[in-house]
Amino acid sequence: MSFSWPKAAIVGIVAGFLSGLLGIGGGVIVVPGLVLLVGLNQHKAAATSVATIVFTASAALLAFATDGAVDWSTALIVFAGAATGAWAGAHYMHKIPEYALAGVFTLVLATSSIRMFL
Amino acid sequence: MSPLEIVGLVALGLFAGTLAATLGVGGGIIFVPVLVSVFDFAQLDAQGTSLAIIVPTAIVGMVTHAKAGRIDWPVVAVVATGGVFAAFAGAMSAQRMDEELLRRIFAFVLVILAVRMGLRTYRLWRESQESAPVDPG
Repeated sequence: MSFSWPKAAIVGIVAGFLSGLLGIGGGVIVVPGLVLLVGLNQHKAAATSVATIVFTASAALLAFATDGAVDWSTALIVFAGAATGAWAGAHYMHKIPEYALAGVFTLVLATSSIRMFL
Repeated sequence: MSPLEIVGLVALGLFAGTLAATLGVGGGIIFVPVLVSVFDFAQLDAQGTSLAIIVPTAIVGMVTHAKAGRIDWPVVAVVATGGVFAAFAGAMSAQRMDEELLRRIFAFVLVILAVRMGLRTYRLWRESQESAPVDPG
């Protein structure tokens, strides 16, 4: 394999453990992990993280859906907007320079850390 | 649901879905607080509903990214496998751990990551300035 799989495994384990424990998404850990530890560029790290989220969030949803804590009609309405946004974001992402993508991600990280402290 | 609420929910999805696919996050950081504070959801219902939005949204993002050839699939396999098992372990040990302490440790990790990503942003920006064509004016 052309990448360091132990490092990738560490990223997955840390992100998964924290999301199971604290109910947060793994993306805020996976993306910087893939950039700083595994060495992907910002665009590839984001796309790879999105694919990872499909699997991890499905497992978490399964756990929640059996408890009945899901409002499906609200989810469907929000998804109508989110599907459009996700397509547009992924489709036009190549037009965004890497420093801008990294900059916005840094802001999201800073916001998340402030939310965790409060 | 009133028409205004429906418009609000679609707008919420549009904003969070764009950010999620572009940045590589799920979007829960936006969905959960907005569902709780604006739409009066209980915390647990907001988390479950947020996940129900995230899964199909991430699938749309994944398919679009895959068409652009941007996904590193071997990395996905390793990270997702480790992630799913660790998430179960995390969920099972949730009761046995001091959540307040964990939140603080997690917040601290995020601060370190934010600083390192901030430095990287600055370096990338400097490089982009250097490689830009020099204005001959």
